[in-house]
Amino acid sequence: MSARLEDLAVGDEVFEVSRVVTREDVKAYADASGDQNPLHLDDEVARAAGFPGIVAHGMYTMGTLASAIVSWAGGVGSLVRMKAQFRAPVFMGDTIVCGGSVRSLDAQARTAVLDVWVRVEREGVVGWPIRRSEAEVRLA
Amino acid sequence: MALNEALHGKTYPAVPFVVEAERVRAFAGAVAHAGAGVPPTFATVPEIAAGLANVIGDPELGLDLSAVLHGEQEYEWVRPLRVGEAVEAEATIESIRGRGSMRFLTLRTFLRDEAGLTVVVARSTLIVREDG
Repeated sequence: MSARLEDLAVGDEVFEVSRVVTREDVKAYADASGDQNPLHLDDEVARAAGFPGIVAHGMYTMGTLASAIVSWAGGVGSLVRMKAQFRAPVFMGDTIVCGGSVRSLDAQARTAVLDVWVRVEREGVVGWPIRRSEAEVRLA
Repeated sequence: MALNEALHGKTYPAVPFVVEAERVRAFAGAVAHAGAGVPPTFATVPEIAAGLANVIGDPELGLDLSAVLHGEQEYEWVRPLRVGEAVEAEATIESIRGRGSMRFLTLRTFLRDEAGLTVVVARSTLIVREDG
């Protein structure tokens, strides 16, 4: 499966992927990535820093977003460039929703620049752990 | 502890790293990567290895890891990493900005393959809270 440039227009929303954030997944991310900062592993440390409990790594969230992008675009070779600001914390039990829309298309280079984001909703309030970030992909 | 701004531009020795299949599998599971190949943000693993090996531990820099938040991350991929390949990660302090209690440390890390060709360029901005 890969996205075709001819099928796309500026403004199209191209993917939306949800994931429930669990303690087990965040621990697995800490072990696999080597980022063992206790803010992501130890509730007491996280509470001392002013959070209700442990916080997912920004890179856990960005990595999940990147998985959604390459799954849509056509594999790991499709991602050229990506930039994200970590604007809000992600907590255990949150459902993160990764999404993207087409910001611009280059028919000659066969690339697209996407606006990408990660949204979370808690008790009716929407938060944006990642918003107005950019990813450039190569398309079929 | 205050960040030492004189270290702007400092490049650390390259750190060797092998892209092991088991580590890739574990990482792919953790970021819900379903397809084939090495997940793009796996680049963070050698990046962290290089950072922990010499930037975090640099006594001249004075970085207190417990006061650090990850503010921003950027990657440029020349090609995907490959399972089994050896790369090296070379970190440079690109900038130290900000005043007062909030400082921004930006690191740029080049991942290069055995031929010396750049595979990924990573740029990581850490927010460092300083007391006083």
